[in-house]
Amino acid sequence: MAHIAPEIFNGLILGAFYAVVAIGLSLIMNLTGTINMAHGSFMTLAGYLAFAMVSAGTSYWFALFAAPILALIVGVLLERTLIRPLYRRDPVYSLLLTFGLSLIAEETYRLIWGDNGVPFSPPLALQGAVSLGFTYFPTYRLFIAGVLLVIIVLLVLFLQRTRLGLRLRAAVQDNEMIAALGTNTQLLYMMNFGLGILLAGVAGVLASGMLGLNAQTGNALLMPAFVTVIVGGMGSVFGAVAGGMLIGLTISIVTLYIPAASEIAMYVLMAVILLVRPRGLFGEEGIFG
Amino acid sequence: MIMSNRAGLIAGLVLLIALLFMPQIASHIGLAISVCTEVLLYAIAAMAVNLLLGYTGVLPFGNAAFFGLGAYGAGLTIEYLHVGFITSIVLGMAAALVGAVLIGPFLLRRRGIYFALLMIAFGQVFYFIAYRFTDITGGEDGMNFARPAIEGLGVVLKDQQFYYAMLVVFALVVIGFLLLVRSPFGRTLVAIKENEVRARYLGLNTDRFIFVALLISAIMEGLAGACFGLSIMFAYPLMLDWHNSGNIVLMTILGGSGTLFGPFIGAVIFVVGQEILSTHWIWWQIPLGALFVACVLGFPKGILGTALDLFSKRRGGFAFEARELVHGTKLSEREIIP
Repeated sequence: MAHIAPEIFNGLILGAFYAVVAIGLSLIMNLTGTINMAHGSFMTLAGYLAFAMVSAGTSYWFALFAAPILALIVGVLLERTLIRPLYRRDPVYSLLLTFGLSLIAEETYRLIWGDNGVPFSPPLALQGAVSLGFTYFPTYRLFIAGVLLVIIVLLVLFLQRTRLGLRLRAAVQDNEMIAALGTNTQLLYMMNFGLGILLAGVAGVLASGMLGLNAQTGNALLMPAFVTVIVGGMGSVFGAVAGGMLIGLTISIVTLYIPAASEIAMYVLMAVILLVRPRGLFGEEGIFG
Repeated sequence: MIMSNRAGLIAGLVLLIALLFMPQIASHIGLAISVCTEVLLYAIAAMAVNLLLGYTGVLPFGNAAFFGLGAYGAGLTIEYLHVGFITSIVLGMAAALVGAVLIGPFLLRRRGIYFALLMIAFGQVFYFIAYRFTDITGGEDGMNFARPAIEGLGVVLKDQQFYYAMLVVFALVVIGFLLLVRSPFGRTLVAIKENEVRARYLGLNTDRFIFVALLISAIMEGLAGACFGLSIMFAYPLMLDWHNSGNIVLMTILGGSGTLFGPFIGAVIFVVGQEILSTHWIWWQIPLGALFVACVLGFPKGILGTALDLFSKRRGGFAFEARELVHGTKLSEREIIP
């Protein structure tokens, strides 16, 4: 039991990453029908921006805050210029466009920061380990768990308790009706995209301190996040959290016993869940909550 | 109809003659013959995507799984069972078919972006299997294997002979594809693409039609993948990866989805372009990504689709026949691209 406890914590933290990334993907997918293949690239972008800021002498805390916002600005600019014209067209186009953007992004990161990863460690205050009574656990991972938890709670409050969140959920249900009622849906799409990228950015900065930072950091989290969206049920925040945790736990526990089967276990889980619940755990298409 | 058949025959023959002299042309401009083979095989792969994307209206982003299963199916059976040339190709196609039978039922529950999302996710499982089971598949490094002799003849094809063998395969696939999309089955797929609800009300089990289309597409991908594996005598995990799916879908869109020769045109531009760019520029992924962006924003109907539109504006009534010629079947204006 003692050796499995840290794996369970690690699994939950991985799961929280998958959940936050999956919520961003799901927000963008449900509202605008765009499968954002560049989502992982935005995570990596935020990671590298934070690394650049810390290298330039700013504090880690500032970078953790500012890098996702810069990623958000880049994301919103791309949404306004390149992605928006594709909303009314077949989803294959936005898929290919964001795929092309991710190719450009990856190569650009390699050009600037090199083929190999860069060392990006958390600040001294977050290094070391904390005793949990029965086992020791890295402080940085506890910090990640705390930040991701706060983000998820804030997000649920935003979607459930604010007018803007209400409008977002309404637009997913019927965007023509909400446009007719006087909401600027284009602005709503932009904010929604920005919100997704902001989530990806925070996850990216945190993940690069835990999983290492290279041009593929974000993409490595992207595929489990897709699986999380499917397992949790498309359009469900609660489902994304539950699905992410389930997948994170599955991966980390299977890795402990059969390392080669860790990703495959994730797919077996997805297949079983889809057989039992075709819409995912909490899937009610098109409704956040 | 008669007119377009004759014109189609002429276009096909011109293409065939061009492809017959392709090795000579390629050597003049400094391209290896293996690149010509690659063009033909990726053209088959893109036609397989086209069957689903252009004729059935579902987005197969994850098709590279079947392409890679073909390559690994051929490679593994050659390596461990020592099968012959044709058997290895058939077994590669069978591997792709098995893959499609396994994941197909999961995909069919959904349409639109949900289908695409499920296919992206499920398609990647074979990548991880090839990547992780290092003992059997060689893992990240991939696996080398020798091109076996053809059964009964005892001849191992050299690269040039291999190209001509693949040209025969390609010609057969084009003819088969044309017959398929002109058949009642192919017309039904187009009906599903146009309006699936209406097709259902007409009593068609659309799930079954889409499933069969997926299986045919997977077999075509498997054929392309197995032959590609035999061409380079190598199978590697990135063949199965979603990046490869993206490339094949781009070829289809770039040339023109829903057209007979569009995927071929896309494959020529993509494969030759990639070959030239990657030899001259280490950072060739940037222009490649820019090609994706430019294609989506500038040529959403693809090169052939855009050319046909210009043609139809000039010539009015004649365009309909021309469209029939390149689509291989008579499609109305709006079904070319959704």
